[in-house]
Amino acid sequence: MKRRALGFLVSLWAVLTLNFLLPRLLPGDPLAALLDPNSSAYVFNSTTRASLAAYYGLDRPLAQQYADYLAGALQGDLGQSIRLNQPVGELLRAHLPWTLLLTLTALGAASLLGVLGGAEAAWRRGSAADKALVAASVIASNAPVVFTGMILLIVFGAKLDWLPLAGGRTAFARYDTPWDAARDYAAHLVLPAATLTLALVGSKFLLVRNSMIGVLGEDYMLVARAKGLSTGRLKRHHALRNAIVPFVHHLAAHAGFALTGALFIETLFNYPGMGRLVFESVVARDYPLIQGVFVVVSVLVLSANLLADWLSYRLDPRLREAP
Amino acid sequence: MIREALRLPGASAAPAHPPRRLRALLGGEGIAGLLLLLALIALAVFAPLLAPYDPDAFSGRPLERPSAAHRLGTNDVGQDILSELIYGARISLTVAASAAAGTVVLAVLIGGAAGYAGGWLDLALMRLVDMILALPRLPLLILVNALLGAGLGTMILTIALLSWPPTARVIRAQVQSVRQRGYVRMARGFGGGPLYLFARHILPQIAPLIVFGLVTAAGHAVALEAGLAFLGLGDPTAKSWGLMMRYALNLPGLLLTDRWLWWLLPPGVCVTLLVLALALIGIGLESRLDARLKQR
Repeated sequence: MKRRALGFLVSLWAVLTLNFLLPRLLPGDPLAALLDPNSSAYVFNSTTRASLAAYYGLDRPLAQQYADYLAGALQGDLGQSIRLNQPVGELLRAHLPWTLLLTLTALGAASLLGVLGGAEAAWRRGSAADKALVAASVIASNAPVVFTGMILLIVFGAKLDWLPLAGGRTAFARYDTPWDAARDYAAHLVLPAATLTLALVGSKFLLVRNSMIGVLGEDYMLVARAKGLSTGRLKRHHALRNAIVPFVHHLAAHAGFALTGALFIETLFNYPGMGRLVFESVVARDYPLIQGVFVVVSVLVLSANLLADWLSYRLDPRLREAP
Repeated sequence: MIREALRLPGASAAPAHPPRRLRALLGGEGIAGLLLLLALIALAVFAPLLAPYDPDAFSGRPLERPSAAHRLGTNDVGQDILSELIYGARISLTVAASAAAGTVVLAVLIGGAAGYAGGWLDLALMRLVDMILALPRLPLLILVNALLGAGLGTMILTIALLSWPPTARVIRAQVQSVRQRGYVRMARGFGGGPLYLFARHILPQIAPLIVFGLVTAAGHAVALEAGLAFLGLGDPTAKSWGLMMRYALNLPGLLLTDRWLWWLLPPGVCVTLLVLALALIGIGLESRLDARLKQR
């Protein structure tokens, strides 16, 4: 576990260093262009330009820039957004909760469906329902999220008009009760979360199904059945509990995939999370903001991976004895 | 089964052999994927024959509905959408093929060197693999492509540079095990150099891994390209299916009319079919590859 924690710190350092080096070392000098009056990327707003020059500090020696950058980044200073003229840290703090809400809702729903469906499918392996679910999982987990999102958006948003088309809440809405607010937020969350759930559920289903099939072949399952235990008890206490260990590891490790999927979905649904921020800052060549999103998403993914390692370490005593 | 039933009692089994071998290698799902992939490749190769118009020509009025002249209507500047779609296959397949080739070449070089040489080189290269695997790929791709400006070459190169580690890891493991086998050690004892040993003895043993690596890398590359284009990082001079979707969604109120039906849906279906075709081949290969590697 100590090695894992060390690995996390090394990766964190790599992310921060890449974030520093890439804009400076890549050909084309994208940062210098922001301050060069002859370039198309020139920043006209003089106060923004001054704060950019101070943040990147391109006139200082590289080592000095690196030290200043690391010190700033560790205190949450990620520069100033060019387009919105606000500190990047503040913008990210405002958009992060939306992304987390979407990602965690979808991860929760996909886990529930994946575990229940996977266990049931393994129990009835070879049945028509099992085969159909496997095929559906392969398709759902391979279809680009943008595409599934589009279909859901068109069918439930535009054609049936059951759910709102875009955004995270109704614009300019005033809520009388917290209940109204919750309902509005939830209605806006359904389609993006359903899209992400569809993208995530396939691999979870297949994983649980496979590990469950493995467990069902164990000797202790035969013994348990011979003892005359009920089917429900066999399934829940003996099979699922053992089949769930690889799933927990997969869940946290899959968080990174969920998070990046959320970036696309937010762009499609105009959901006010970080994906929307990325899309808008790409269009406006708002480098400090793109860099900020890169750092925050990377840190989240790295943390999820660390959490995955820690959880499997807790759940599986065998790992503790291994060197 | 149908083939079996239709075969005449006295007919030679020889012509049926290659398809059967293919089936043993890919399985039913893999063959379905291969056929789908071949159809899309044909679309790309014969694009000039199949497309009714030059995809860049302004062949109609903007935003025409589907008609006999324009089967899928026209886009916001009056280009024929069907022609764009057909030529788009070229872009997506180019990205798939070149990014996959780049990924696998890097994986074979690095994984092969690590597995063959062992020692400190192996240690250093495997730490590099761990490091790249730990980095989230998509945010890094967004950052680099945004900084470098949209370009198909940049995109292919960056995808390959970030995608080789998983394949390199399995190739390294296989090279390590092959290296220790009796016939390889004997060949080395007779004075076979590393390049000779690699080409003659090691390459055939890692060939299935290479094929599997190519297929999975190609699938990921297609999805990544479509995703990046969708986020506005597509090369505007190479109109891929992802970029078509981006342009369609840029039109305000697209979803409120039925325009999405012929503008947004077709490229989405095409990307999905291509990714699915590659995934099916991968799934087919993987389940049989496992068995073969264990057998050896």
